[in-house]
Amino acid sequence: MRISPLQKWSIVIFASLLGFILFILPVIASSIYSFQKPGGKGYSFSSYTWLLHQDGFLASMGTSLKLAILAGILNISLMVPSMVYLNLNGQRFKSLFDFICILPLVIPVVSLAIGAQNAMPSLLQNSQYELVFFFVIIGLPFTYRTLDTALQAISLKTLVEASRSLGASWIRTIIRVIVPAIRGGITGALFLTFALSIGEYTITSLLHWETFPTWTVIASQQNILGAIALSVFSFVSAIALLSIIALFSKKGARQVEVEQ
Amino acid sequence: MGVVKAQLRVRSDSRSSGVLPLLPFFTFTGFFLIWPVLAVTLKSFRGNNSEWTLDNFRPIIHNGPYFHSFIVSIKLALITASIGSIVGAFFAFVIVTYVRGRFKNVLDSISAVFANSGGVPLAFMFIAAFGSNGLATKFIRFLGYDIYAGHFTIFSFTGVVFVYTFFQAPLMILVFQPAISGMRKEWREASTNLGASVLTYWRRVGIPILLPPFIGAFFLLFTGGFSAYATARALTSGTVSIVPIVIGALVDGNTQASQANLGASLAVGMIVVALVVMIGYVWAQKRTAKWRQS
Repeated sequence: MRISPLQKWSIVIFASLLGFILFILPVIASSIYSFQKPGGKGYSFSSYTWLLHQDGFLASMGTSLKLAILAGILNISLMVPSMVYLNLNGQRFKSLFDFICILPLVIPVVSLAIGAQNAMPSLLQNSQYELVFFFVIIGLPFTYRTLDTALQAISLKTLVEASRSLGASWIRTIIRVIVPAIRGGITGALFLTFALSIGEYTITSLLHWETFPTWTVIASQQNILGAIALSVFSFVSAIALLSIIALFSKKGARQVEVEQ
Repeated sequence: MGVVKAQLRVRSDSRSSGVLPLLPFFTFTGFFLIWPVLAVTLKSFRGNNSEWTLDNFRPIIHNGPYFHSFIVSIKLALITASIGSIVGAFFAFVIVTYVRGRFKNVLDSISAVFANSGGVPLAFMFIAAFGSNGLATKFIRFLGYDIYAGHFTIFSFTGVVFVYTFFQAPLMILVFQPAISGMRKEWREASTNLGASVLTYWRRVGIPILLPPFIGAFFLLFTGGFSAYATARALTSGTVSIVPIVIGALVDGNTQASQANLGASLAVGMIVVALVVMIGYVWAQKRTAKWRQS
């Protein structure tokens, strides 16, 4: 009943080919396209240099980076202590906590945005930092899953009891014992929140703020080639960055093996 | 003395199970998640003079542009979730079965990028690749098939379907992998020992076990496709009238109060559809958990 090597290889080759056509080809095609000169003949960096000369480019990029970093930090500092407590002795609240964490996947982001428009105090509505809070909400389901996997993989109770009986305070226990033990999960959650926040468009545009993605859409109306170059750049650099991290994180590899 | 104190502390740790340490979490999500959802729901039942009314829901139920936008959205979600879940499940199977170690991590990361940070960049990349002068279009034309021979354009409903699949399938790869790697070797061995062929194994063991997680993942993809806004907005600049785009147009325009209320009722309509789908998801999750217990 074992599959023969020939069948095995034909499955793998078929999958690789399909994956190449569906996912890699569009990326390559748009990358080449982004280097085309506006007239269509010849190749140059002109679309990329055009970007650098735009007023909004660096400003919106800066805004997005700032908001995304803040969202990542806020997310971790909110979720790590909560989930440690939940796993230790907050069992009573587990189902409610689970429910809330999956809710952002259920509630369409558009609906959340309309709600935010109506519900947030004007003090918050007048500041772009309101986006940070909603980026955290959108990242919740993903952070939850990443941190939960990491916490399941360590013997949390033993670690905490050891640390506490040696006289460490709760804060010290979390910072010096638990955080290092689930470092892989925390990095993963941080990057996920960061990536989601950098690319977030729906809430940002419905609440009328200008970040990198909303600026890209506005810029595309002037220069579609510029918008394409921008998209290729952000997409390819995200893939490159995450692939490098995946390639060099031994921790991640080990965790995956444990899961299986 | 110190030891006794510390032991007491450990004991008191395990006894205290109050809500206090979770208060920051519940306050935060209460204010930034639950309260906006409540607010939009309340608003959808208010009339122009803030009296209670069901009028805002009338345009959604009656046959018309708003009703139609829900049909288009549901159709879009159904089609893209179907294609995405089947293609993604195949890739998940191949990755779990044949790919190991670091390369698997890289594939997972790439899937995560495709699935999550799609949005706006995805739309423009597809315009570059599959627009009427796109390089992929030219390449396919070179192979002898002109995708623009019929009614296809990347800016139409079909185009949106095409682009959505590009993030739905990788999402499926991520979501469905645990289900496949949870299949025990012993099940396969047991069924072989009982004389089952590969086909019988899949028909009697594999597919029945994988069906609930597959349906669960399908529902997840459905909600994703149903609520996605960025890609369609950037790709079509609002010409394909799915519900999120209609809401966006209502919000962006200089809306009168009545239209703001209509936006709220459309938003609530979306929540209702998503909730119904999520009930299916929870059901599928429960069925999945049944197999994981032993």
